[in-house]
Formats: sequence, C-alpha cells, structure tokens
Amino acid sequence: MITRDQMQKAAEFIRKNCRASDFAFGINGSDNLLTRFAQNGITQHITGENLRVSLEVAFDNKTGTATVNRLDDDSLKYLIRTSENMAKLNQPDPEFIASEPAHELPEVNNYSDRTAELTVEKIVDAVVKCVNNAKAKNAKVSGISEKNIHNTFLYTKNGFEGFDQSTSFSHSMTMKKEGVETKVSKSVKDYNKFNMSGLIEQLNSQFDSLQNPVQLAKGRYPIILRPAAVLNWLVYLIWTFDRRTADEGHTPFTDQIGKQFFGEKFYFRSRLDDPDLATSKFSSDGIPGANMDWIINGVIKNMSATRYYAKLKNLKAARPFNVIVEGGTATEEEMMKQVDRGVIVNRFWYIRPIDRKTGEWTGLTRDGVLYFENGKIQKSVTNFRWNEILHDATKRILALGPSIQQEYYARIPAMLIDDFNFVDVTTF
Amino acid sequence: MDFLSLAMDTAKSLGADYADIRIQKSHTEMIYLRNLSLKNTSLQEVYGYGIRVFKNGAWGFAHNNVFSHDAVNETVKKAFAIAQQSGRIRHGKGLVLAHERGYIDTYKTPFSIDPFDVPLSEKVELMMEVNKTMLNFAEIKLAIFMLESRKDEKLFASTLGSRLDIQTVYIEPTFTATAVAEGDSQSRTFSLGGQARGWEWVRSLNLTDKAVQIAEEAIMKVHADSLGAEERRDLILDPNHTALTMHESVGHPTELDRVLGWEADFAGISFATPEKLGNYQYGAKIVNFVADNTLEGGLATAGYDDDGVPNQKWYIIKDGILNEYGNTRATAPFIGMEMSRGCNRATNYYDFPINRIPNLYLQPGKEKLTPQELIADTKDGVYIEGRGSFSIDQHRVNFQFGGDMFWEIKNGKKIRPLKKVIYKSNNPEFWNSVDAICDERFFQTFGIANCGKGQPGQRGRMTHGGSYARFRNIRVGGSQ
Repeated sequence: MITRDQMQKAAEFIRKNCRASDFAFGINGSDNLLTRFAQNGITQHITGENLRVSLEVAFDNKTGTATVNRLDDDSLKYLIRTSENMAKLNQPDPEFIASEPAHELPEVNNYSDRTAELTVEKIVDAVVKCVNNAKAKNAKVSGISEKNIHNTFLYTKNGFEGFDQSTSFSHSMTMKKEGVETKVSKSVKDYNKFNMSGLIEQLNSQFDSLQNPVQLAKGRYPIILRPAAVLNWLVYLIWTFDRRTADEGHTPFTDQIGKQFFGEKFYFRSRLDDPDLATSKFSSDGIPGANMDWIINGVIKNMSATRYYAKLKNLKAARPFNVIVEGGTATEEEMMKQVDRGVIVNRFWYIRPIDRKTGEWTGLTRDGVLYFENGKIQKSVTNFRWNEILHDATKRILALGPSIQQEYYARIPAMLIDDFNFVDVTTF
Repeated sequence: MDFLSLAMDTAKSLGADYADIRIQKSHTEMIYLRNLSLKNTSLQEVYGYGIRVFKNGAWGFAHNNVFSHDAVNETVKKAFAIAQQSGRIRHGKGLVLAHERGYIDTYKTPFSIDPFDVPLSEKVELMMEVNKTMLNFAEIKLAIFMLESRKDEKLFASTLGSRLDIQTVYIEPTFTATAVAEGDSQSRTFSLGGQARGWEWVRSLNLTDKAVQIAEEAIMKVHADSLGAEERRDLILDPNHTALTMHESVGHPTELDRVLGWEADFAGISFATPEKLGNYQYGAKIVNFVADNTLEGGLATAGYDDDGVPNQKWYIIKDGILNEYGNTRATAPFIGMEMSRGCNRATNYYDFPINRIPNLYLQPGKEKLTPQELIADTKDGVYIEGRGSFSIDQHRVNFQFGGDMFWEIKNGKKIRPLKKVIYKSNNPEFWNSVDAICDERFFQTFGIANCGKGQPGQRGRMTHGGSYARFRNIRVGGSQ
C-alpha cells in the first residue's frame, strides 16, 4: 500500500521538474478485497491494490491532465511531459481557476485499524454465516463482502498539501426463495461497529414478512420509506443540487435559494464531527471539508458550487462531504397508525430523471413491499413503478423515524410520506 | 522467461485446474467542453495484469501493476490462495468450465487513422466549432461536447496454451444543446454511442451540420407541447432509440449469469429462465435478435473474449422465440452447453471478467419498407428519436422509457413536435407488439459504451442495431 512518504516524495519530484505555471498533483491509492457470492456460493474473489496518479497543469489558462497508475520516476516524467504537451496544444479556458493555496484542513477520523486488518479468512467466515442462514431457510443468498483501505493525497503549486487515510467495510445480502426476495446492506468505516448477527436478523425479519405477495392496484398511497429507500433517491437529489445549473435555469431549484422549497420537516446537512460517518477532509480539487447546512426546515440554504462558480458568484465552494438527514422519533408502528392505510417500501431501484427541469423522477420499489391498514401490516404486495416530483414529496412528509447510519457516509431516517404516486404495478 | 509463461507455469506448479493472465494497457483520452470552457482535457494510462486461478470449482483473481519475476509469482500465489478460500463455499458442487482449446492469434480493430495520433488541437477545434454553432442560437444556453477515445492493448495467455494479442479502439463523440425558454429547459443530443473505428469515422460525420440540427430541435422541443394523459397509441421508434430498449429488455435478460441468479444482489435477475428456451414467445414472428461479436465496428468485437473464446454470431431470439443466451465458460455448462458463446469481458486489467451483453441487433424487415411509408401507415401514434429516460425492474419485465425527440403522428403525418413523452410496457408485450420493421436499407448500429454492471462496477461496451420499427397499442403519455 502506497505510503504518505512515497506520495510526498513524488510531489517533490513534480515540484522540481514541472515547468507549468500551475499544477495540481493528486494520488489515490487503495488496497481492496472483495468476495462476491450468489446462490449460496462464491462466484468472484478479487484482491489487489489500485493506484491513480494524476497531474493537471496549466500554462496561464491552457490546461492538460495526465493520469497513470504507477509512481516510479519514469512514470512521473511521462506524466509531466504528457500533461504539459496537452496544455501547450490546448486552447485557453475562459473559466480557468488557479489551484488551491494552503489551507488549514479539518481533523477527521476516517480510518480504523480493525477494518484495515480484516483478512480474507474473516471475510469468508462472514459469508459462510450468511450462506448457512439462507440454507436453514431453504433459500438462496447472494451479495458481497468488501474491505477497502484508501490513501488520498493532493499537492498544488500554490501550496496546498493534504493527506487522508480511510477504511470501509461493506456487506450486502439478497435472500430469495420462489417469489420472495429481499435485501439488507450496511457499510461502516470501523468494522467494530458492524453487527453481522443484527444484519442477518434484519434480513430474516424482512424475508419472513414477505410471504405470498399479492398485487395491489396502482394509485396514490401513504408510504413508509425505510432508510435505504430514502437514501436511494437522495443520492439523485444531490446529483442535481448544483448552484450553477440552477442559476442557469436547468433544474427546479432556479431562484429558490433561501426559499421554502422542500417540506418543512426536511433537513439535510453535512457534518465532519459525526463519530460514525466518514467524511472528506478535502475534495479532489482541494476544497476543505466543512460542516454545511444544505436544507434546513425545508429552506434551501446552500447548494453545491464548483471552485470556479463560487469565485464568480462570491459563494462558498462546497459539495456534500457526507449526508445527514435529520430524523424524528416515530416508530414504524406509530407511523402506521397515523394514516388509514399505506405501503412500506424497503428499497427503490433504477431511479432516473424524467424531466430535469420539473424535478420529476421515476423508479421502482424493490426488495419487499408491505401493505398496512388499521395500524397493522396486512399483507406482502408486489412491486410498483412510481413517477414523482421528489422535492414536492418532501412537503408531504407526515412523520420521521430516528436517523440511523445506513452507509458509512450517510445517516438517514425512515419517512412517512402521504400520497406517493405509484403509476404502475409490476408482475412480481 | 516472459511474464505470460511465468504466470502460467507458476499457476500449474501450484496445482491450478485452470489459469489465465491478461496483461492490459488502456489509454483513455477525454475532452469535455462546456460551452467554450474546456473543463477536462485528459489522457489516462492504466497498465497492469490480472490473473485468474480456477481450483476445485472456484475462482480467485488477483491483480498487480508491478512487472517483475517476484511480483508476477506473488500475484499468482495470491489468486491461488483466495481461490482456495472461495472453495470453502463453492457454488453447488463447484463451477465447471465449458470446453475450450488454446489459440495463438492476433486481432486489431480495423481503422485508418489512430485517434491517438490525431493532434489534440484538431479535436478541440472541431469541438469548439460545434459548440459555437449551437450557442449561436439565442435560446441555446448550454452546449456540452464530450469526446472519448480509448485504446486497449491486451496480451492473454491461459493454461490451455492460448497466446492472444488483441488491440481494440473506439471513439465516442457526444454533444448536447440545451434550450431555456418559457420557464423550461429541454435538451437534444447527438450521440451514436461510439464505434470501434478510427478518426476517419469522426471526420465523415459532418458534426458541424449536425450541430445546427441538434440546436434547432432543442429549441423546437422547449416550445413544444406535452402529450397529455396516458393512452394506448402506436409507437414508431428510430434505431438509436431501440438500441437502448433492446439493451435493457433483451440484452440484459439474456445474460446467462443474470438468468442463473448471479446478479441477484445488485443488477438483478431475469424472467427469461432456461425452461423458456425454444418455446417462449419473446416477440412477434418478425422479431429476430442476432448476437454478433464479429460485427465490424462493434464495441464488443475483439476477436476473443476474456475467457479466450473466439467471437461468434448466433440467434438470441429467432422468429420471436427465445433461442439462446449470451454466456461464458463458467455459465454455459449450467444449461448443458458444452461450449461458451464468448461473452466474458473485463474493462480494465484489475477487473474480473463478467458475463456481458454481446453486440446485439434486431434484424431488418424482409419486406421493402421505408420510415416514411411506416409513418404514412400510422393513424394515431408517436415517433421517437434517440435515447432519454429509461428504467426497468430487476427481473427485466416492466419498463418505462422516454426519448430524445418526439413527434405526434395523426392520420399518417407527423403533425407536431412534443416533449416529456414517456411510455410503459413490459416483456413479453413490447416485442410482441411489433408489426413492422423497415428493411435493411435503414439498418444502423449504435454503441453503448457505459453499460454499468458488476461489483466493483465495470463500464462495459457493446453495439446494438436495427431499422425503424412500429410497436402497436403501447401506453404512451406525457409526464407530470
């Protein structure tokens, strides 16, 4: 695994030999182990280190970037020669912005020895446990178990130097038997915080609740989105939550900064000090990690902005360094009692934009849908397609569950949303 | 001793039942122009090797970028060790590899001008000209041009004795004009999805002329009406659009790894299960889907797949009936096939090869038929060009598609442009609703260069094709 010293030595080589008027030199190294299993057996097993060494140079406002996956002197010379030649042949960029200067970077803790020390034997032990659980239910389980260690480094001509080390462990399982299929997944930065027995228990509970699904008519229903489903769509919201494209009129967020655009129960933040969540100490182009309020009480406070656009509009350059959606206190049982009837959704699937300007998206339910009435689950139902304007849906939030760690970068609550727009039913 | 032989000898000495090594150097040039600002001009080189070891019916895969005697040996040993760990939870009684023999061969994408020999200045000037052309229209507020060129040089060796030297190239120019007016923003895109051809292909495309058409249609679209409530209507789809529908609703469901449930946790499974082979009416009788990894210009055409199996041509759907799958040496035996169809492909050296969609196309109609005649023969319908919103369930049954440009058809005439059109259908309704396919004069191919699949995710590529086709009585309407 590439070390910080090796990265700094390479940066020194670039500093001495690169003749461009500006440069940003980035290195990402990772050590990865991934076990993929399906139908109760391992189908893939991958190990190895990856390296990405990138140099972006500028001669005035003419830029070029070269990337390799080696760090020896010859490779660094190639990197300098290639990026400089590209920049010299390139046309000027009217939106060029100089590389970041030195910053005081936040203290973050994204690394766990326990995760880094995980062995292949331990990971296969975990898979054995999952498979044995599935066999006990005469079912088939498929999934992954994965460990990653990352070292990230950025160095610029203007004085920025940053290094961060992070770990993650991810595990997912889909259990299937005849017409029933359901999935659980979890990722953590610290393997000490991973509870395999708890995850298997959750899988079994979901699996047992989904027997003999029947078809329910399409239409508008109150919906309880479990945290995984909320995160499924939130990543797409984040993708379009960009200040420049909003200002230029391409998204629904045009002229909505500072306004009550989302439901008042909807809060979305990034925080560096959450003990369980990983965050970014700095972005790949040198924006220091920072606590950010994006949406508070439904009001848009900030949006992602690139370094160029932030400078142009006198904004703070930022992007979501992690994802925290504020929760409430409602349990699923309490949510079911708040409305006459509705459906509970484990996950969404294949979310795509229908119309970027209106913010309308489509997607399907996946991995289990339950129908409830009179405060109790009545039956398992087959999947739906939905078409929804998702920011409007947040205005119909009736209740929020506690915000829980869903992935190593995200803390998300369950949501009870009224009148969710199911436009079609699936055949399974 | 060369690294190929060293790796294979070490694998054999350890007791591997089978092993292969893929030394791969990949160059990707990406130029991204947003309006007149060059947001990215980059050249990436990724060079290393991946080694697969098969032992007692289970796989191990290790990769490295250090080329030395010790590093190669160590990587083989790592792959062997994790293959043994995989063997602790074998798939059934263990995987079996379909029969294959060794080959000594070379393959090179045919082209005249290597895109990597073309000066950057020529590419950037062309892109600037296209974007300036689009931005000359007052209502075009955003012009984006992305140009990707990629070259893969692979050396493959296996314990079957194969020694393959493969070089593939592809280019993908894509540009989009976005018009903003009347509180709306609508885009129109030029994309052929990439082709395995040289730079001479890009020069032949007359992109500046295309830029005018794209800008004009984006403006037409932003001022167009929406369609209104969903109703059963006829659809006429251009081959660029059907390239995506066939990819999602025929290509993926007939990947044998999905059929076997190997993608159950991520990409999903397939409704097209083996008991349907030879009897399932997937489409109308005039619907024939051909898998063809020998197709010239095809993004999956490479001589051999990453199992070392030669490229082939076969029917996936014949006369409307599900005929066969795309498969690999590890998946083919599950349905009793002795030989693989050669669909195992990896993107980079560090990727484990997975069951991929082959080049796949809808055979053109046998009767003479032009797109104009097809429109003239349609009373109430919508004509869709290009690709837009797309979403399909994890069994590959129910789907919803948009498009890039829409025209309402009434009484045999295109009467007005539309925007925000979506349609819903499913398997087997959709392909069984086909009642007319234009003839071979209108056959075109389109690449898909960003097919996401696998964990860790890989970006696969393949080519699809067809002629204009009509689908009767589909649920079509406007979005909200």
